[in-house]
Amino acid sequence: MTAAARPTGNEFLDPAILSRIGNLEFVAKAVVEGFINGLHRSPNLGSSTDFAQHRQYTPGDDIRKVDWKLFARTDRFYVKEFEADTNANFLAILDVSPSMRYKGSTSGDRGVSKLEYACFLTAALAYFSAGQRDRVGLATFDHGIVDYVPPSSKHLRLVLHSLDRANRAAAVHSPGESGGAAITAAADAKTLTGRASMMPPMKQLSESTRRRSIVLVISDFYEDPQAVFDAVDNLRGRGNDVICFQLLDKDEIEFPFSDSSNFIDIETGEKMPLIPDYLRKEYKKLVAEHTATLARMAAERRIDYTLFDTSQPIADALYAYLGARERYNRVR
Amino acid sequence: MSFLAPWFLAGLVSIGVPIAIHLINRERKTVVPFPSLMFIQRVPYRSVRQQKLRHLLLFILRCLALFLFVAAFARPFFVKPPSLAAGVGAKEVVILLDRSYSMGYGTRWKAAQDSAKVAIASIGPKDRATIVAFANDASALTEPSADHANMERAIARATISSEGTRFGPALKLAGDILGASNMPRREVVLISDFQRRGWSGQSEIHLPQGVEVIPMDVSGKDVGDVAVASVETDRASDEAGAPVTVTARLTNTGSAPRTVEATLELAGRTVGSSRVTIPPAGSVQARFAPTTVPGGITKGSVKIPSDALAANDQFFFTLAPDEAVSVLVIEPTSSRTNQALFLKRALEIGDQPRFRVDVKRVDSITPRDFASRGLVVLDEVAPPGGDLGVALRAELKGGTGILVVPGDVPGDRVPKEWTTVLRVGYGDVVNRANAGGARLARLSYASPVFEAFAAPGSGDFASAHVFTHRTLRVVGDSGVLAWYDDGTPALVERSVGQGRVVVWSTSIDDYWTDMPTQPVFLPFMRQLARHAGRFSNSRPWFTAGEVLDLSRHGELTVGLATKAAPGADAPVLSLMSPSGKRARFSDSTHASALLERGFYELRTQATADGAGRPVAVNVDMAESDMAHMEPRELVAAATATAGTVNGASTAEAGTAAERERNQRMWWYLLIGAFLVLAAETILSNRLSRTVTT
Repeated sequence: MTAAARPTGNEFLDPAILSRIGNLEFVAKAVVEGFINGLHRSPNLGSSTDFAQHRQYTPGDDIRKVDWKLFARTDRFYVKEFEADTNANFLAILDVSPSMRYKGSTSGDRGVSKLEYACFLTAALAYFSAGQRDRVGLATFDHGIVDYVPPSSKHLRLVLHSLDRANRAAAVHSPGESGGAAITAAADAKTLTGRASMMPPMKQLSESTRRRSIVLVISDFYEDPQAVFDAVDNLRGRGNDVICFQLLDKDEIEFPFSDSSNFIDIETGEKMPLIPDYLRKEYKKLVAEHTATLARMAAERRIDYTLFDTSQPIADALYAYLGARERYNRVR
Repeated sequence: MSFLAPWFLAGLVSIGVPIAIHLINRERKTVVPFPSLMFIQRVPYRSVRQQKLRHLLLFILRCLALFLFVAAFARPFFVKPPSLAAGVGAKEVVILLDRSYSMGYGTRWKAAQDSAKVAIASIGPKDRATIVAFANDASALTEPSADHANMERAIARATISSEGTRFGPALKLAGDILGASNMPRREVVLISDFQRRGWSGQSEIHLPQGVEVIPMDVSGKDVGDVAVASVETDRASDEAGAPVTVTARLTNTGSAPRTVEATLELAGRTVGSSRVTIPPAGSVQARFAPTTVPGGITKGSVKIPSDALAANDQFFFTLAPDEAVSVLVIEPTSSRTNQALFLKRALEIGDQPRFRVDVKRVDSITPRDFASRGLVVLDEVAPPGGDLGVALRAELKGGTGILVVPGDVPGDRVPKEWTTVLRVGYGDVVNRANAGGARLARLSYASPVFEAFAAPGSGDFASAHVFTHRTLRVVGDSGVLAWYDDGTPALVERSVGQGRVVVWSTSIDDYWTDMPTQPVFLPFMRQLARHAGRFSNSRPWFTAGEVLDLSRHGELTVGLATKAAPGADAPVLSLMSPSGKRARFSDSTHASALLERGFYELRTQATADGAGRPVAVNVDMAESDMAHMEPRELVAAATATAGTVNGASTAEAGTAAERERNQRMWWYLLIGAFLVLAAETILSNRLSRTVTT
């Protein structure tokens, strides 16, 4: 699936519009339904009725699943198994560290924070997965696990509620207009916790997931790529199918600032006087190198990695995700 | 460096414009929250610093361009200092050491000697230095050399004088020494307390070009001084033994009132005291009770307790009870009626000095009559011969003046021993009555006799007619002071020993001339008598630094000749200083400098110690004025004089092209400004491009 085939008129997929909708379930439904309508494909025609494999009959199996044609040819009892018969776990791991609360200053009121965007995305994918009768779960983390909803076919509402709660908590602690002063005050008071590392929560989650799951990690990945994948490898080592979404605001990518200012790190409170005009080129180069490294290392591990610009419609994210999943299924 | 248009320097305030621009455009320190600075931290920070430096460089270039523009418009030019032209190498140094009595204030003298030693220590083996001590006048204490020991000995031997300060002679002597030197570097080290009175500002000092004047000020902190500035005496009458009232004027140059007790001493005895309070920067009179003084000349002094400057704490003076000059007029035995009347009346009418005229006939004269005479008038009588002649000549050499009026006395009646004394030959008697009388057509106004008549309308000698006069034949060193209209001498003078002989060719009454009836006669006769008798106004004291000229102060020698040993032909006068130094007077030496404060004694070889004529000498009170001048002011004045002279000659010699060359610096400044602007343009364009990308 390519962008050229993408239908137009997906206004409901604009994150700025979605951010005005308070009900996350409705948002997820609007996104998914709109998205599905645009695709002109029925989610009910999914792989759940597709033949998967034959298995030798064992006593106790439903004799209705015996493939009698194959018995006629081979004189042995085999049972037909279908994909739809195997519901998967979908676990979304969402980074709720302070850096995710960033909302670009250049986007104005129309912009959404990375965390809001992540919540929309997670909600949509959870709703989508639930529609496939997968078990959906959610884990939020910063320095450790903040909230955890174990995957379950009945946990969609709980997931959405947790997402909503995380989003509201982030809104309370968002830097906002006076964020600089607040962060400076917090840094002076030494209440900032510093930059979060993914390793502890990933390790903890890998130990808690007993079933093979589709694990979606959404973060800005402000960490050394090696450290990122060292943490993700904990999940992947358990047989999980890991998908990494990196969310970055447009300001983080383009660095469009012009005035000389004191830049303050939201997580660490570190302050640096900068002349953005003189740094932009180097900064963009470093960000590109970082994302390229993440993409390369993800490919090496057969991990789906996608970079999302939070100023872009969520549909783009879904296209990217589903496109990647389709390619992945083909090769599998 | 100077500027032709210094008012353009006001344009330097325009430098504030780029400063304001850079301040306005300075970095705005707003706070921008950002998710992570991990990438920014990896950007080499030097790029930021570089940009800041570029901004700083831009700012400097803009300021520099403005500065150069302003400087160019101000038209700077350099005047090459003379010292640069002097180059380097061995130096000729003149160390001028102020030894005026004000240097005795506090520790100034020691500081001056120490400073001199410091200056000497800087003299290298190839250098030469001369020590010159100065006060009123300057004299070299050493020859130019590099002998440190010799110079230090000279410094150690130098003493404070009683004279005042005059920088002019010292700088002139230094200029002469340095002018004769061929050393590449020349310096004047001036060690002084830099009293303002020492520099008149009009001294023509011509220090050679390239001479550097190094002042060493030892004035220290001025704490004021109390001095006895002057003394006045008021005698009740001219009679001997009449009471005298002495009043002293005391001055205080300090900033606080001072109470002192002034003491009056007369003839070595303390006769009174007066306690007075002198206001700050003011003066007060201390009046002593009237006291009777013995006859003759009495030494007196008023003194106050010694303070930081002791030299002016005692004031010396002399009291002479009767200073009238005794004049003896010798008339012929057959004199005309009232022959000496006009002279007698003319001399006795004044009191500066007072003359006491005795008229005697020639046949009644004895040698004793010449004693203590200030002036002897030979009124138409021949000079006496024999013992009288000897006695009169002795008095003449001792200082007594002789006015000779030849009249019609035949020339052969003049004794031969007088011929060599008078050196004037008696010629014919010339009668010019038929021609309306001769007139004094030419006068020597340089002579003290006529100097008072030098001003226009100060004496009409032309109105006097001389109907008959004697022809005078001037011989040898006799000087003619007045001539008739036919060119013959009318008045001739000659110095003999300490005395003086004056020959007047016509009569001193109205027998041969109508001059005695003319207004000019009275002052003329008084001036003639003063000059012949070498009298001047009686002075109770002199000031250190003055020259005592006995040819003008015959009143001081009156009576000394008669004290000579009997039979002595020529008593030799000498002047003994307070410190015991003796200066001899001779036929050719009539003057001696008064350099010490205290009582000098004028005496002959026969005079007993203490019996001579005392001459009081005090320090120059102007030197007590401690007003200080900035050394650099003096240096600037002294060097500016030379500089002005040199500058004037240079300006005269310099061409327009040379003057333009000296001022062309503004071209370079203007070019530099444009270059800086070009650099600024390039740099700012580069910065703009960097920002855009």
